[in-house]
Amino acid sequence: MSSRAGYLSVTLASLRKDPLGMMGLIIVVVILLTSIFASQLAPHDPLEVDVYNRLQNPTWHHWLGTDQLGRDVLSRVLFGGRIALKVALVAISVSLGIGLLLGMMAGFGPVWLDRLLVVCFDTLRSFPTIMFALAIVALTGPSLNTVIGVIIITSIPVYARIVRTQTQALRDNDFILAERAMGASTSRILGHHILPNIAAPLLILASMDVPAVVGMEAGLSFLGLGVSPPTASWGSILNDGYSYLRNSPWPIIAGGIPLILVTLGFTFLGESLRDILDPKLRRKGGET
Amino acid sequence: MTTPVLEIRDLSVSYHTDRGLLRALRNINIQIHPGRIIGIVGESGCGKSTLISTIIRLLAPNAQIEGGSILFRRNDLLGLDPAAMRALRGNEISMVFQDPMTSLNPVMTIGRQMTDIQYRDNRSKAEKLARAASLLERVGIADPADQLSRYPHHLSGGMRQRVAIAMALMTEPALLIADEPTTALDATLEVQIIHRLQQLQQDFGCAILFISHHLGVIAELCDEVVVMYAGEVVESGTTRDVFLKPRHPYTRRLLECDPARIEQATRNLPVIAGNLPDLANLPGGCVFRPRCDESIDICTRERPPLDGVDHCTACHVTGQ
Amino acid sequence: MSELLKVRDLRVRYPVAGGMASMLDRNRRSYVDVVHGVSLDIERGETLAIVGESGSGKTTLALALCGLAPVLDGEVRFDGAVLPKGNDSYLRPDRRRVSLMFQDPVGSLSPRMTVRRLLGEPFRIHSELSDDPDRSALELLSLVGLSTDFADRYPHQLSGGQARRVCLARALAQKPDLLIADEPTAGLDVSIQGEVLNLLSEIQQELGLGIMIITHNLNIVRHVAEQMAIMYLGRFLEQGLSELVFQQPRHPYTAALLAANPSTNPDAKAMRIDLSGEVPSLLQRPPGCEFHNRCPRVQAECRESFPARESSNGKQAWNCFHALP
Repeated sequence: MSSRAGYLSVTLASLRKDPLGMMGLIIVVVILLTSIFASQLAPHDPLEVDVYNRLQNPTWHHWLGTDQLGRDVLSRVLFGGRIALKVALVAISVSLGIGLLLGMMAGFGPVWLDRLLVVCFDTLRSFPTIMFALAIVALTGPSLNTVIGVIIITSIPVYARIVRTQTQALRDNDFILAERAMGASTSRILGHHILPNIAAPLLILASMDVPAVVGMEAGLSFLGLGVSPPTASWGSILNDGYSYLRNSPWPIIAGGIPLILVTLGFTFLGESLRDILDPKLRRKGGET
Repeated sequence: MTTPVLEIRDLSVSYHTDRGLLRALRNINIQIHPGRIIGIVGESGCGKSTLISTIIRLLAPNAQIEGGSILFRRNDLLGLDPAAMRALRGNEISMVFQDPMTSLNPVMTIGRQMTDIQYRDNRSKAEKLARAASLLERVGIADPADQLSRYPHHLSGGMRQRVAIAMALMTEPALLIADEPTTALDATLEVQIIHRLQQLQQDFGCAILFISHHLGVIAELCDEVVVMYAGEVVESGTTRDVFLKPRHPYTRRLLECDPARIEQATRNLPVIAGNLPDLANLPGGCVFRPRCDESIDICTRERPPLDGVDHCTACHVTGQ
Repeated sequence: MSELLKVRDLRVRYPVAGGMASMLDRNRRSYVDVVHGVSLDIERGETLAIVGESGSGKTTLALALCGLAPVLDGEVRFDGAVLPKGNDSYLRPDRRRVSLMFQDPVGSLSPRMTVRRLLGEPFRIHSELSDDPDRSALELLSLVGLSTDFADRYPHQLSGGQARRVCLARALAQKPDLLIADEPTAGLDVSIQGEVLNLLSEIQQELGLGIMIITHNLNIVRHVAEQMAIMYLGRFLEQGLSELVFQQPRHPYTAALLAANPSTNPDAKAMRIDLSGEVPSLLQRPPGCEFHNRCPRVQAECRESFPARESSNGKQAWNCFHALP
């Protein structure tokens, strides 16, 4: 266990022992692969309209039926996955990155900077996301980038606060003092000593955030604030299906299932990883 | 010959770990008679924590009892069901732990904690509080009635440890197990507390099992001492015998290393060369042989038995 | 022997978050004086032991000498040059010349770095010390008697003794003139305490370092330190040549500490000096001599003013109105 590669393989081995974690991993991998290879897997063009065959139940031709314009729901769901993951990837990585930077500054820097940043974080957090989105959309018009932007702005304070707490917890540890005693610069300490020790729990948090972000995108698109028609996103599929619920339940089901799967998959995986990586939860004897 | 309060017979305990079977305790034999203070001396890796955990039956999930018995007043503790064991813990067998900072519940007052553990009694709350206060006084805490309403974080380490001792003695146990209770305290406090323990032991008449790696404390407090090394008992006897006439090479070298014993100021302090054996991969023969400079041929082949009448040692060379 | 470190009347003050209570109550202090006027000298090649119980301020003293504690007042001369006060920039130009071995060896090593990287840190921070950090790291390992197998281990895979050696190696990387070792034997088994202390001794002889050892273990002081100082609540109560202090302690606290050592000889009659009372809180520093509430020789003036320093031919000094003869 004396190398990074060893650490990874031990983690994977432990993951294999946890059935829920494995299930989560499989679901996540399946979602990732189907979204990446959506063009190859989709039987039809998601935008192809076929009004004569609208609102059909599942058939061999259309595994999940068709929506109100005769478009193949399955294909739309597969491409919707791309939207969901793109939003999740971009939003989470940007907000995590900025949150990390601001959080470390707040946690490690002078008290006045900390106080200032905390006020900013709390102010941003106090905006309900939907209201915020509505306000921005009123200014800029609906689009996917607006959705991503709103999610980033409301997520930054969450990550920043967590990073701040973790940084503060480490700041007074002996090994940080030891580095300062040797004359290490602040950026060195933050980059080499604080960051690696807070990264693991943060990454797990970020992965468990994916369902929330995907849900936010779906919600905003459902309200018409996100993607514009005819782009397929799970939220817009749900929106369309909602209006035609009496005619066919399938669009709703098809739009809802991937959301459920994403939530389950990432949550199981994240929780399992967290349990594995938390050494305090492992109680073993024989260690002197 | 009185019945021992606690008799550990041929106890062996191992742990299942990634590296294999860790044989933490091997054929431990210890007797504790009523009213006596027995000290267990050993350095890290000797198995004293495992021994304590086994006695009170709070072992880690990956532990396995390979054999032997622990007789508490003729009942084998290893055969008791959890409910029966719980009835004994805190009642007839109580414990004082090493770290005074974490052994008390931080969100309950001292008084509340001390009355809670009297739950087996039918007395009124006022009586329980009074009893708690009187016990606090006996462990040397000033203004005991006032302290009952305070929280642990108001008290210093030394005071917390006294409270822990008071709580352990509340039920007038037959056996008090103290796991390095003074290691975290300063020297002046340490001495005060072991004197207090001596007095209390005479008043209450309980037997005490005192674990420490601090040789001086053991020498001062204990009537008998057991020396453990890498999971085995290597020597046992009265404190006078073991400390003044040590028989096992490990005990002798250990005493030599004590800086207090070294008369002449020196820049070259003695050490015991070598390392502890790997408990998952024990050498054959005597467990101390790799670090012993008196070993003979048989030491590599056969494990020495614990020999002797009152002053026992497990050594081919110096035993018998 | 040249004078390496000269400290005069050092004071370290920490602000204390008082909250609402301290705003309302003017008497409630919002600071603690952890080091309250300490003076000492260390020469090259010499070892000074600072002895004290927990709360005496000895670790803070060490931190202050490394520029990691807020110095309120006092003068520190390093190799003749006066060092500027002020937190953190305090010793910056000379920071390399003093290095500190922390009390918790495993905790003072960055948990996700291998020993090789940890020992390479000083060379990466101060690139002028070496052009090959990795090679210098391995050289340091052998200096402290650890094989190269240890280079790829993580801190949690080291035993207490091994981690201490790694910390020592790291402390030596910057080629310091003064090494401060905070409780170098705490938590170590008696049978291996000697290893760390002997190693310190060897290295001192080889490199001519000055060493300051902080400990509460009086037993080792006699063997490793020529000079010693007894610290209580931020002040030195007695200091001087170790041999003298051990043979003839002048301050009652010193005598009590020396007597509080349980002996491994069961026949030795213990001459205990019982110290009643609790150590006062730093938040409410008692007037006069801080030891007065526990001292068996206390008189009226002890409660009023702190005794001036007395000394015997410069080799032993104490602050007590009623010193032992």
